Amino acid sequence: MSNPTSPHAHHTLGLGTFACAWCGLTVSAYASDGVPRNHCPSCLHSRHVLDHVEGGASDCEGRMSPIAIAVLRTGDWRVIHRCVRCDELTSNPVCVDDNQLILMRMAVRPLAQPPFPLEAFGTL
Amino acid sequence: MPRHNRTGRGRGRPQRYKDVLHAHGGHRSHDFRCASCRLDVSPTAPGTAHRNHCPHCLASLHVDRRIPGDRAADCRGRMEALGMSVRPDGEWLIIHECVSCGELSANRVAGDDNPLALVRLALRPLADPRTAGRALLAL
Repeated sequence: MSNPTSPHAHHTLGLGTFACAWCGLTVSAYASDGVPRNHCPSCLHSRHVLDHVEGGASDCEGRMSPIAIAVLRTGDWRVIHRCVRCDELTSNPVCVDDNQLILMRMAVRPLAQPPFPLEAFGTL
Repeated sequence: MPRHNRTGRGRGRPQRYKDVLHAHGGHRSHDFRCASCRLDVSPTAPGTAHRNHCPHCLASLHVDRRIPGDRAADCRGRMEALGMSVRPDGEWLIIHECVSCGELSANRVAGDDNPLALVRLALRPLADPRTAGRALLAL
């Protein structure tokens, strides 16, 4: 499981940093307000280390790409990640220093390619 | 206190034989009823061979575990639409979240889904001016 030669072993060794699986940025494991971080603030990619169906740790360790923005009833945003190896979905809260351009791009992406014309909603 | 309208059991008119069974093998055997809005939904949907959510309120049911269609989950909870995602080819996916166990799943939209519900779901991140305005100001 916790292979010490794997590139993200710093996270398990407790050094407080991990390397992003997509852009290679070295990221501190905690955000500026002390919240533990689970995705890169620059490209929002994550890594599949927790199994949410069975519970506990996962041995997939694939890269997880952000696919959607979900909004809770409290108004907080969450990022939906999908593992590119096993298609598992997770949702993680947005940190304060996440890339707002990528967040907003994911939020407006459904409206850029609607499956039906949106002009009919102007008459409602 | 039980009411006794009849003097004896089984002496009235016998129950009429039902030739249409609604539950098993009848004309609505493969239909399902939505767990959220109680709409009777036919499984034939335009644009997809597997209907897995209600076309009116977009709610689903947690029956599959890892593989779509395996019916291996023993949760059977209601799954509410949480967000909207897009495939690279432009097809919309509804992100469902189980309200009883928190499991997530992504399902393609069907051809007869309610367009107003779909657009409301897609606009949900932009509806709150506080978060969206802060994100726009940070750009």
